[in-house]
Amino acid sequence: MSKIPFNATYIKRFVPDAPFIRGRPGEVLPEAYKKFWREWKIQKPKPVHYIAEPGRWKRNPETGEVSKVQNVPIPLKFPKDSHQQLWGGEGVIQGYQKKGKYNHRVPHFWVPNLKSTIVYSEILNKYMTVVVADNTMKLIHENFGFDHYILKTPACDLQSDLALKLKRKLLTALNNKDLNHESQEKNEMVYEKYKQYLSKYTAEEIEWYGLTMEEALTKYNQEKEDRKTIEPLKLQYRLDLIQELLERGRETEPVPEEKKSWLLRINPFHSKKS
Amino acid sequence: MTGYCASRLVTGVLGWNGHCLRAPSTVPLILQIRNTFILQRRTPPGLTKKNKRPKLRSRHYVYDLVEDTNLRKQENLNVILTSYVQGFGVKGDRVSVKPKLAYEKLLLPGLAVYATRENVKMYEESVDKEEKTPAFSSASVERTVGILSRQILAVVMNLETEWTLQPWHLRISFRKAGFIVPEYAIELPEEPIKGPNLDLEGKEFKITVTINKSETVPVRCRIHHWSTNPGDRLPYVQDHWQQTAEPLFPDNQKSFQSDQ
Repeated sequence: MSKIPFNATYIKRFVPDAPFIRGRPGEVLPEAYKKFWREWKIQKPKPVHYIAEPGRWKRNPETGEVSKVQNVPIPLKFPKDSHQQLWGGEGVIQGYQKKGKYNHRVPHFWVPNLKSTIVYSEILNKYMTVVVADNTMKLIHENFGFDHYILKTPACDLQSDLALKLKRKLLTALNNKDLNHESQEKNEMVYEKYKQYLSKYTAEEIEWYGLTMEEALTKYNQEKEDRKTIEPLKLQYRLDLIQELLERGRETEPVPEEKKSWLLRINPFHSKKS
Repeated sequence: MTGYCASRLVTGVLGWNGHCLRAPSTVPLILQIRNTFILQRRTPPGLTKKNKRPKLRSRHYVYDLVEDTNLRKQENLNVILTSYVQGFGVKGDRVSVKPKLAYEKLLLPGLAVYATRENVKMYEESVDKEEKTPAFSSASVERTVGILSRQILAVVMNLETEWTLQPWHLRISFRKAGFIVPEYAIELPEEPIKGPNLDLEGKEFKITVTINKSETVPVRCRIHHWSTNPGDRLPYVQDHWQQTAEPLFPDNQKSFQSDQ
C-alpha cells in the first residue's frame, strides 16, 4: 500500500512533514515535537474495524496470477465528544448497508458501544470516571493494567485527546519521579514497574508529547518570550553616554584649571566659631 | 457500568467529504444496535500507484458485517488474590472469573492483581504456608454459615406413630429445605425429643451442624406434626418462620433468647 496515511491532508505530491516545511508556522518547532507528530498523524493505526490481509503479495488460486496486497483502511470519524472519552482506537463509521441483491443501499452509522466506568492509574494513584468503549476494557485487560495500556499503545492508536493528555501526564510523572503514594517504598516500586517506557523517549520529547499543533506553537512562543530579559533603558543610555564621552575625549585636548585670586578665595559668609 | 447514549454523537458526525448522502435529516437517529464490530467492504477499491491516495467512491463505502465481537463468548480473566475474599478464595489463590466481575469486585478495590509473571512470583509463590492458612476451611464456608444461621428448619414428624428424634430425621428435613447435610455433621440436643406430642408442636430447639468437620453453626428447628390422613392434619400456618416460637427446653430460655 502507498505510504500516505488515510487521514493525511490532501496535497498533490505527498510530503510527510507537511506542517513543518519552510513558510508554515510549524517550521519553528523542534525535532522532538515532530517525532510525536509522526507517531500521531503519520504512523498507520492498527486495524480495529477490519481484518487486514497479511503479506505484500498474493496469488490467484485459479489463474496463478500474482497481485499486490493493498489494505485500504476503513475511514473513521471522531466526533467532538469522543475526545473527552477513551474509545481505544475505535471510531464512528459512516457507510451504507445493502441487505439483498435487489435492495438499494441504505445509509448507516456504526457507533461503538460505550459504557461509563471507573479506571485506576497506578502512576497517578487516582481513580477516574471515564466513558469507555468495550474494546478499550479488553485492551486494558490484555495489557494487564490501565497505565501499561496507555504507555504501550502509540499515539495513532490512542486517537482521543484525553488519552494523549493522560499519556503525557503519565510520562511526565515518571520522568520527574512525581509519584504520590503512601510511602516512598511504594513510589519506588511503581517507578521500577513502569520505567521501561521512559527508554522510548528523551526528556525533551516527553516535554512536547501529547500537544496539538496550536498548543505546541503557543508553548514555543511562550518559551521565546521567557528567554527575553527586560532591562531598564537607562542602563543602555548610560553605556551610550559613556561611549559618546570617550569619543569626545579623544577628539579634544584637556582644559587647564583657572587660577583663583586671594580675594575670591575669601568667603564673607563663613561662620565664625566662637 | 452504566450505558451511555451514543445517538446524540452521530448528529455531529454528518458531514461527508463532498459526497452527497441521501440520509433523511428529519428522522431521529435512534440506534438500537450498538456493538463493537468488524466490517468488510462489499466492493474492494482498485490498486493504487505508489505515494497516491486511493480514490474512494460511494460504492466503496458499502460494508458487510463480518463479526460482532460483543457476541463472542467472554473469556475468563486470571487474577491472583492479595487477601482473603469471601466466595473467591484465600491470599495467593489464582482465580478464573468473568472479566466484568473480576474488574469490579477484585481488581479495582485492590483485592487482586492480574496474573502476570512478576505478580505470580510476588503473590502466588512467595506466600508462606502459615500466611496461607485461611480463616475458613474453604471459600464457601462463610456464606454457608450465614445461610444456616438464618435458617428455621421445619422438622415434620408423624402424628400417629411413636418416634424419637434422630439425626436421619434432620438429614431428611435439611434435604427438603435444599441442604445436603450428612448425619455425622448433625449434633442433636442432649435431652432426647420424643413424640408424637402436641405440646411440642411449633416449638423451637437448636441443633449444631459441623461444616467441613471444623466450623460449627447452631440451626433452629421447629417440630410440625403431620398425618397421612388429610382429615387429621393440623391447620396450615402460613409463613410459620416469621412468627416467634416458644423454646422446647425452657431451661435454656436465656441463651435461646440472646441468640434469637
